[in-house]
Amino acid sequence: MAGLSPIRRLHDWWQRRRLSAAGQPLGAQRLFLMPTRFGVIWAVLIPVLLLFGINYQNNLAYGLAFWLFAVALVSLWRGWRNLHGVSLTASASGEVFAGDLAHLSVRLSAARHRHALRVVLVAGPGQVAAAEGEIRGSELILPLAVPSLHRGQWRLPPLRLESAWPLGLVRLVAWVDSGVELLVYPAPGETGEAHARRRGQGLAPQDFAGLRRFEPGDGPARLAWKQWSRTGVLSTKAFSLPPRRQRWLDYDACSGEPEARLSRLCAQLLDYHRAGDLYGLRLPGVELAPANGPAQRRRALQALARWAAPSPRSGS
Amino acid sequence: MSAPSALLADGRSLSAPLLIQLFSGQCLVLALHLPFMPPWLLGVALAAAGWRFLQLRRRLPRAGVVLRLTAVVGVLAGLWLQYGGLMGMQALMGVLLGIYLLKLLETHDRRDGRVVVIIGFVTLTAAFLHDQSLLMSAAALLAAAWLLQTLVVLAGGRPGRDAWREALWLLALSAPLMVVLFLVVPRIGPLWSLPQADQAATGLSDEIAPGDIAQLSRSDARAFRARFDGAEPPPAERYWRVYTLSQFDGERWTRMGPEQHAASAGQPVSRFVQEASRSPYDAGAPRYIAELLLEPDSRPWRPSLGTPLASDARQRYLADGTLEGLVPLSSRGLLQVGSSAAAPSYPDPAGPAWHRLLPQDANPRSRELAERLWHAAEGDPRRYLAALMARFGESPFRYTLSPPPLAGRDRIDDFLFDTRAGYCTHYASAAAVMARIVGIPARVVVGFQGGERHPDGHFTIRDYDAHAWIEVWLDGAWERLDPTAAIAPQRIEQGAEAFLGGSDDFLADAPFSPLRLRELGWANRLRLNVERAEYRWQRGVIGYQRERREALLAGLTERFATLWSRLGQLTLGDALRLVAVATGLLLLWSAIRRWRQRRAGAEGHRVRLLQAWLAKRGHGPLGGESPAAHLRRIAPRGGAAQTALEGMANDLERLLYAPLPDAERHLRRRRLVRQLAEIKRRWPRRR
Repeated sequence: MAGLSPIRRLHDWWQRRRLSAAGQPLGAQRLFLMPTRFGVIWAVLIPVLLLFGINYQNNLAYGLAFWLFAVALVSLWRGWRNLHGVSLTASASGEVFAGDLAHLSVRLSAARHRHALRVVLVAGPGQVAAAEGEIRGSELILPLAVPSLHRGQWRLPPLRLESAWPLGLVRLVAWVDSGVELLVYPAPGETGEAHARRRGQGLAPQDFAGLRRFEPGDGPARLAWKQWSRTGVLSTKAFSLPPRRQRWLDYDACSGEPEARLSRLCAQLLDYHRAGDLYGLRLPGVELAPANGPAQRRRALQALARWAAPSPRSGS
Repeated sequence: MSAPSALLADGRSLSAPLLIQLFSGQCLVLALHLPFMPPWLLGVALAAAGWRFLQLRRRLPRAGVVLRLTAVVGVLAGLWLQYGGLMGMQALMGVLLGIYLLKLLETHDRRDGRVVVIIGFVTLTAAFLHDQSLLMSAAALLAAAWLLQTLVVLAGGRPGRDAWREALWLLALSAPLMVVLFLVVPRIGPLWSLPQADQAATGLSDEIAPGDIAQLSRSDARAFRARFDGAEPPPAERYWRVYTLSQFDGERWTRMGPEQHAASAGQPVSRFVQEASRSPYDAGAPRYIAELLLEPDSRPWRPSLGTPLASDARQRYLADGTLEGLVPLSSRGLLQVGSSAAAPSYPDPAGPAWHRLLPQDANPRSRELAERLWHAAEGDPRRYLAALMARFGESPFRYTLSPPPLAGRDRIDDFLFDTRAGYCTHYASAAAVMARIVGIPARVVVGFQGGERHPDGHFTIRDYDAHAWIEVWLDGAWERLDPTAAIAPQRIEQGAEAFLGGSDDFLADAPFSPLRLRELGWANRLRLNVERAEYRWQRGVIGYQRERREALLAGLTERFATLWSRLGQLTLGDALRLVAVATGLLLLWSAIRRWRQRRAGAEGHRVRLLQAWLAKRGHGPLGGESPAAHLRRIAPRGGAAQTALEGMANDLERLLYAPLPDAERHLRRRRLVRQLAEIKRRWPRRR
């Protein structure tokens, strides 16, 4: 700790200082005022009106200038009061593959009517999700679709709750640490050689068994394009496979960059699961015994998501 | 949640309702300028709005650069043609209005909308340069509220009631601060000179020929208002002096300003005018102190009741006993003047010879008459003037606002011997000439006579009160002589309105004047009330300038000081009494709080009573069971009361644990009471 640079320490202090906890009513210490460009224009308008008053000795111009100044002050307080005491909780639903949208549900609650609230999440450079609404009654639920960037454990960055209400002169901002952690699975890639080998071994799907909903990772060859052009719903052709074949998803059997291998493994995993096969997973340092069903699928995906390449020193 | 309706679905462009709101705001601001602006600007407003309307309906493309430039150049050209230039006040206002209206063409997103509102506030303020009346202020307040609620909608507020409520809250909550700032912020003089609104030169001109003041009697425009500190002058003394006219060319009486006098006499200007707040010519004590509320005018004239003796601000005191401001008034101003109600008692430095000058060999018949009267009076000026006045009072002379025109070279002769009909200008002019013929120094004074007294004690002096009379130098002092009083004494005693009201020419230029409704009692009362409110507004708010502010602050400081010193004199008994009152208030407050808390917990109490009632029937709560769980458990056995039991359990839980808005809390509480009664009524009877 002693080795931290002052800038780093300042940054940490600012992080601690600005963040509010999820589920707690926003406190006075954690609400920040940011002037907007319109606020600056307003600050120029008032002296202009005062000049009218001074140069023409016009009391109504004086009065209007003073009134607009007072209105600006009161609007700060009204805006502050609009955000003060709102509590925010967020929760994620469904599973996320890297590159897909993670679906958050942000719940804002307060005892009073709150206006023009906006929730913003900056996931990365240029990756912004935002939603807005007002609390009438006691709560407001906003859906937020956040682009997920990388595989692995992802602690969501702080959510920004903001409002320029009532006049747009300042923006009231609070940063809330939602505490939501997402486990982002690898993006299912092309199954590649492994897929081809499988097909060559005569393990390809045999009889057409019907259509089911598209899931991420379904190969383009199996998509029901005709169906899609007719109905607009993307479906996948399902084929009955001989069940309970035992397979291994082996990291070492794939080639290429570690992340590309994981993507390929992920695609295979989804294939095997769909086919109902028994499958096991071998990653350097991790091994899952063959099994099938949703539990095995979840375990295997989580293992893929969490696996970290061993450093070269400890690997050999 | 859907996007706020201020924007279209793309999240950027302004929606049609918001554009309509912006346009309505423009219309309100435009309405303030309506009486002062060229009417064709209304066409510009409608064209811009029409284009935007059609464009929103997707029938026209966005206004391109060419169209917008053409529109701007068109408006500028129109203003150039109208005013012959763009630098005048009116033209600049027109440019501002044009920009404001045309901005609508390129208003697409939130930022543009806000810019329109900002320009709206500037344009609104510009309207105050024309007029600061009560009506204008009320209309401006409405327009400002409209602009504010547009901003609320632009910031994401829900349009309609919510936005209006917020705008009104903002205005109401900020009003006290505005008032404090208004009263306390120091007033400073103009920082630089700006083009001034072209104020009409109202009221009097500084030269008259017989026939001029009759034009004024056709108008009911207000000249100024006055309120007296202390005694009010009787009607016959309400002569407001404004100018003295001492140069006569046989046709017109003309004023010589102090600078002209000094130049023609080769004397320093300081002999003819001095800047001061006390008359340098007369040290006498003022008889009347009048607070004047002056209308804006392009000339710096200041009326005074008789000779001005003192004022609350520096003014130019002229040696002929009149007053001038240092600058013309661009807006209404207050001035306090103490005066003597009589003609000056000091000589005019121009000298008596100047006041005897007449064109040679004009008006021979008048000269003949004058010599005859002078002989009859045996050379006594007073007897001579009395004979002259008596002659005016005789029957062939009459007072009329529409006399036959005088065109010849010897106009005084024509008036005195042929037409013998006229009004104050004719009589004053003739009287001054007759006095000068026999060597009595005389000059014509123009000003106002009379004024309408309002029930609250202030006077309104209007253009039709304009009057002319003469002053003659007798026995070392100027003396007022009003020939009109000889021929039409009612004009002096009752005022122009009462005397001339029936005449066709009176108020001929003001066909819709409320003054015409004097006969209707209620209408006249209404007019008087409106005028009183307007007077108070002008005097209290518009006239609040540096001196008033200093007086107010001095008063406040003094009051605060006395309060402070009184606090220092508090005895022990007083202190104890104060403490007792404070304790009492504190106790009362805590009692109210406890009562409100009990009321808030009333539903818990009610439910416990219901639980006891149920226990008597063999359905009491189990140990550790919450009231809601108890109600839910026994609901299936409640028969007809089942739904009420379940509903009550739900409401109870919401009331106890959910953060509810007040309206919903109130609703659920009332439902709870209803359900309670229903349960008891519908509970199955014992067999």
